[in-house]
Amino acid sequence: MLIFQGTGVPTGSPEEMQIHMGKWMAWIDKLAKADQYAGGEPLLPGGKLVSGAGGKNVTDGPYTEGKEIVGGYFIINAKDMAEAVEIAKECPDYELGGSTQVRQVMKMDM
Amino acid sequence: MMLSGKIQELTDHLFRHESGKMIAVLSRLLGLNNLETAQDIVQDTLLQAMNSWSYNTIPDNPAGWLHRVAKNKAIDFLRREKKFKEIGPHYAYLLQSEYSLSPTVHQLFLENEIEDSQLRMMFACCHPSIPAESQVALTLKTLCGLSVPEIAKAFLTNEETISKRVYRAKEKIKSEKIELEVPVSEELPERLDAVLKSMYLLFNEGYYSSHPENLIREDLCQEAMRLCLLLTQHTLTSYPRCKALLSLMCFQCSRLNARLDDQKNIILLKHQDRSKWFLPLIQQGFDYLDAAAEPFEVSTYHLEAAIASLHAAAPTFEKTDWASIYHLYEMLYQLQPNPVVAMNKAIASAYAINKQKALDELLQIKGLENNPLYHASIGEMYFETDQKEEALKWFNKAIGLTSSQSEQQLLREKMSLC
Repeated sequence: MLIFQGTGVPTGSPEEMQIHMGKWMAWIDKLAKADQYAGGEPLLPGGKLVSGAGGKNVTDGPYTEGKEIVGGYFIINAKDMAEAVEIAKECPDYELGGSTQVRQVMKMDM
Repeated sequence: MMLSGKIQELTDHLFRHESGKMIAVLSRLLGLNNLETAQDIVQDTLLQAMNSWSYNTIPDNPAGWLHRVAKNKAIDFLRREKKFKEIGPHYAYLLQSEYSLSPTVHQLFLENEIEDSQLRMMFACCHPSIPAESQVALTLKTLCGLSVPEIAKAFLTNEETISKRVYRAKEKIKSEKIELEVPVSEELPERLDAVLKSMYLLFNEGYYSSHPENLIREDLCQEAMRLCLLLTQHTLTSYPRCKALLSLMCFQCSRLNARLDDQKNIILLKHQDRSKWFLPLIQQGFDYLDAAAEPFEVSTYHLEAAIASLHAAAPTFEKTDWASIYHLYEMLYQLQPNPVVAMNKAIASAYAINKQKALDELLQIKGLENNPLYHASIGEMYFETDQKEEALKWFNKAIGLTSSQSEQQLLREKMSLC
């Protein structure tokens, strides 16, 4: 799983935004053609934070720093962590200060 | 559907053009004094689209999606801020009641209302009280969706200069209380002339700038044509002069690809490969010129378009109808007695009459002392009449005046023949 953080705050022109979006689409397209893309969703900003015994504390949030906000995720197929990292390096958001968490989904053998 | 098909569905400049449309509509809704709020709402809308569409979820109707989000954001803004008193008198009343708020917003996003809003925005941006260069900058910013850095790049200037021009325009809008409206009938022709002049400047900025990046120049030309087309399509503004200007732009644009060689040096009309001229645009040029014939009026755009049409129709430079072109320049000079027209008229006379006549005419022109093309043309006429020493002097002056490397290159080649 690739978790994209700190994305979605470019101050660019409409044209630059469209071009940036095009890079994402081209990336997904490329991964899909290589059978590496298994799905993904963007997350809307905002949300709630639930904590405490019985979930009694419900607050707006998570209010983390901008660069830590999760903008969305991909599920990808990679043979190992090294390949997944190579894939993550192609994310177009680094130029905007974004970062990517690469995590392996645990498969439970039944 | 294949993903790559999805990417292609998004037309070029969709964000840029939809941004221009939505800013015009929202400014009409919220009043021009809330232009910045309109721009913020549009920026938010595009951001939302970028974030969600990036994950391969492009909606079937991208423009409709953007409009819906912008509408909702505008309705939210109105409910939250309740700034009805600051909003233009046309909509304040309708927006106060929850009953009519949402239908009013929806109504303004109908296709013909969007065009109407863009038209109003053009008249506001090109208001005569706004200085000409600020008119062009504000038009590009609001109607064409270009950012300040993009405008600065296209105009070969810095961002601060463009920011100041936009700022000055916005100050004028406030101090002159400029509203988004189509001028009443007796004012319309004069106000339309101001809009057309601004479109003409915008086009020329793209066409004549020696910017190394082709794309930026073509963008400016395309934007000018897009807005001019809008004027020709609207019943209130479809004056013959608008069609004549659009015709002129079509003819000029048809030669864009033939104007530069592989090293991006300018190729003069004389040496252009005419097979590279883009025929569909030439055809459109003729169509708009025909359409501009009725009802009868003669604008400078008619004359310029007619001149461009004669160039477009000529099989070679030598077989051009120079006599008619010279005659049209004489008429243009009557309407617009400025030194640049005088120079073009003189150059035409070189081929319509003779080089000596052209040289005499050129030497009489005052006011082009800093114009490199003027000096280059005089050099050319001296060269053609076998006065190579004089020619060298004028070419040399021209080189000192132009900052364009491709023009310098062209002049050096000439000088090596002297």
